[in-house]
Amino acid sequence: MQSEVSSRAKNVTRYGCLLLAVSFLAGCKLPGKPKDGPEVPRPEQVLSFDELYAANCSGCHGAHGEKGPAMNLANPEYQALVDDASLRDIIVNGEKGTLMPAFGEKQGGELTDAQVNVLVKGLRAKWGKGDVLSGLNAPTWKATHAGDPAAGKLVYEAACARCHSASGSQPSKGGSILDGSFLAVVNEQMIRTTVIAGRPDLGMPDWRSLKQSGPLTDNEVTDVTAWLMSQKPALPGQPYGSAAPAQPAAAPANKISGKD
Amino acid sequence: MEGPNNPLESEAQVRDISRRTLLMKIGIGLNALVAAAIATPVIAYVLGPVLKRKEYLDWVDLGSLSNFPVGETTLVNYRNPFTNSWDGDTANVPAYVRRTSDTDFTVFAVNCAHLGCPVKWFKESQLFMCPCHGGAYYADGSRASGPPERGLFTYGLKLQKGKLLINAGQMPTLQNQAGLGKTPCSGGDASVKPQIVARIEPCPGTDKSTIG
Amino acid sequence: MPWYRQVYDWLEHRLQLEGPVMEAMVHPVPRKTASWWYVFGSASFVLLILQVVTGILLALVYAPSAAHAWDSLEVLNHQLPLGWFLRAMHGWGSNFMVAVVLIHMCQVFLFGGHKYPREFTWVLGVCMLLMTLGMAFTGQVLRFDQDAYWGLGIGASIAGRVPFVGGQLVHLMLGGPMINGATLTRFFALHVFVIPGALLAFTGLHLWMVVKLGINEWPMPGRIVRRETYMKEYHDLTHTDGLAFVPLAVWKDLFFSAAILLAVAACAAYFGPFGPKGAPDPTIINTVPKPDFFFLWLYTVLSYLPPNLETPFLLIVPPIAIAFLIAIPFVAGIGEKSWWRRPVAVFAVFFIAVCWGAFTQLGTYTPWSPQMHAWSGAPVPEKLLVNRTPLERQGAVVLQQKQCRNCHELGGMGGQRGPALDDVAGHMTEDQLYRQVLQGGGNMPAYGAALSPAETTALVKFLTTLKVNYAPAASDASRQVADADTGTAATGAR
Repeated sequence: MQSEVSSRAKNVTRYGCLLLAVSFLAGCKLPGKPKDGPEVPRPEQVLSFDELYAANCSGCHGAHGEKGPAMNLANPEYQALVDDASLRDIIVNGEKGTLMPAFGEKQGGELTDAQVNVLVKGLRAKWGKGDVLSGLNAPTWKATHAGDPAAGKLVYEAACARCHSASGSQPSKGGSILDGSFLAVVNEQMIRTTVIAGRPDLGMPDWRSLKQSGPLTDNEVTDVTAWLMSQKPALPGQPYGSAAPAQPAAAPANKISGKD
Repeated sequence: MEGPNNPLESEAQVRDISRRTLLMKIGIGLNALVAAAIATPVIAYVLGPVLKRKEYLDWVDLGSLSNFPVGETTLVNYRNPFTNSWDGDTANVPAYVRRTSDTDFTVFAVNCAHLGCPVKWFKESQLFMCPCHGGAYYADGSRASGPPERGLFTYGLKLQKGKLLINAGQMPTLQNQAGLGKTPCSGGDASVKPQIVARIEPCPGTDKSTIG
Repeated sequence: MPWYRQVYDWLEHRLQLEGPVMEAMVHPVPRKTASWWYVFGSASFVLLILQVVTGILLALVYAPSAAHAWDSLEVLNHQLPLGWFLRAMHGWGSNFMVAVVLIHMCQVFLFGGHKYPREFTWVLGVCMLLMTLGMAFTGQVLRFDQDAYWGLGIGASIAGRVPFVGGQLVHLMLGGPMINGATLTRFFALHVFVIPGALLAFTGLHLWMVVKLGINEWPMPGRIVRRETYMKEYHDLTHTDGLAFVPLAVWKDLFFSAAILLAVAACAAYFGPFGPKGAPDPTIINTVPKPDFFFLWLYTVLSYLPPNLETPFLLIVPPIAIAFLIAIPFVAGIGEKSWWRRPVAVFAVFFIAVCWGAFTQLGTYTPWSPQMHAWSGAPVPEKLLVNRTPLERQGAVVLQQKQCRNCHELGGMGGQRGPALDDVAGHMTEDQLYRQVLQGGGNMPAYGAALSPAETTALVKFLTTLKVNYAPAASDASRQVADADTGTAATGAR
């Protein structure tokens, strides 16, 4: 009798221990167990390129660095053209004269220096293909001197007009780039970058094949951007175009306050 | 069995009972008195942190004026003047400093005037937006849309020896307004000469006719 | 006599508990109340005990200090064996408890259980519901993360709306002029001592009355409650058609309680603990505070109330609602108990349930809140950019850069505060778009100050391309009439 009770008790303890061990083992692998690290890290602790790019860049530059409305970051020629310091500067301070805003913490943005470095490194690693421009005698990224608008007009007609139309008023395959409002929201550097690196995602070729007769020279690129910028009207974006009244800038204000 | 209702009970017993009842009542009264005497100061204990400490009325130094570029709205953090050592990060409080000229400052609380959530400044669209219920404010702090019934709270401020000081020790709510800020749209505009405008400046706090 | 029997007898001789306990256990209950509908009260009680036990275990580790609370929760989540599981049990137990208490309340109300002589049982029950909700709110505060911090801000802002004393009330609630360490210790005392103490005391009284007055009988249409006769009728019912509560009726309670506990454990094991989300540092303003599940409906209501109704609603409606709940048994304390004869009561329950469900559902995806990162994180759908001119493409950049996406969807991504823009050109003309962008209106801010004329033009040019497939663009009928009248192409320049 006594031994039977004690053996049953032993059995119970044995099964109990087994059950306990199993539940502890299961406890390590239960789906509800929190992942390592805090559920929501502090914003400055996010240091993954993919997360940072998706949250801060993908809106304008596209989820994969292409086919967005802004610059084509997945273009290896663009990556080769712009050096690290400049890329960092553009992210931190924005690009004056364009719609690229400043993302640096000190400039009112959200990104710390470490995060900007992650972005620059990540852009290179993901879309850079090394120095694809070496030996191609590509124009420099920054213009070395002021351009000559008069010469630029001829370059425009030879290299750009076939897609972007000569006058800007008639429809064209690439759409007009002579529109005053367009020229007011881009700057010289952005046009220069686009002329040199092209927009492969949109079918725009790089500086080598814009002109049928051969690659554009550095001077030609400088001149054509200078001419384009000279086409920017003094008061861009007026709603009634050339039919603007004598005091053009006051017109929209009056129009707005007069309505309603 | 004998109880108090026994008709045979004597006068003396009745007198004894009424005397004891009286003593019991006095005892209860004594306890109430002692309890009240002890409890009243304890109320002061409960209210203590509210009544005694006045650090929150102090001026908080936000640093040199040169930290705040003209024409920009800058996020700053300061240490809550009313703080204990165990407050940790919760004693760091953010605020927005808007500088419109060399001497014109406005300091906004981050707390939405609706229900106190932290509004975020978007300098591209010149708006403060609240993540909770969608309140939005213009750059001057006036209400732009959403449920708030007023503009952003502003802190009282003064400029002293090239430094910006604010009176920002309490969480602003509709009854505890953080301080009396100036109303940006009412004054100061008269001196500005009419000129060609590159951007149209609305004064929405005073104009309700923006319904489309 | 076995040894345990001897111990029991020794104790019972001194405690004298067997008599009253046996009496309470075997008291007869009406046969039909031995039903699955009558299990929610006991389940609430079991959940309360679960909360007390898990709460005590968590309190062994939790540090009620503003500087350390969040860290101690992280330790519970990551470093202590099964610490996360206890947190999950406590969190899910809280959700289950609120839910079961609410179901219990609806069941009692629909079964007429609040009527004579159980009015006071109902009143205590209402108080216990409020305490349960109070526990849920203070518990959310103790999970001292960003949601807790800003949730306190919301609470303080509501308190700050009280006329005259609002200011002092905020200081009293926060233990100072701002949310800090004193706030957390206050809510710790409330959550751990004050409310649970009161809740346990009220539970005792509530149970005492259930035992003394008997469980509410199954309502039958036509069986009218009268003050003069009810007690006798109930007594007769339990003695002619009754069951001993133990063991004939109690087994369903036991089964259901076990099922509920298992459900809590399963949810805890599968979904894990709630938070803590980001560290409670108010300088992290990149945060989207959101209340716990059972306060989502309130979050929704607060976003939809017109500004001028908000303060009256917040200050007047809760006291009225509570007074109304307490008044129910005094206004409708006698008469029909059956739901078949109480259409208003049934309608009220369903109406409130549907409203609550709708508000909660809205609260899960907050269509009124701007998406703070949509402007830089929600790509412009590629198909909207096919064959666009450079100006229109820059317009798309303007749309992103001016944070329009924070409130407007494109291709299902972005905020839902304003209308989706995928088909905006289908119902707004170019002129209307200019006006809307510059002047705002209809709950949209005016962007005139933030946009240069060139940016406005680019933006509107892009917006005019946004229409569905081959649908015609919106046009202004009056323009054609005006053109025909004057015989000139007044708009030729455009």
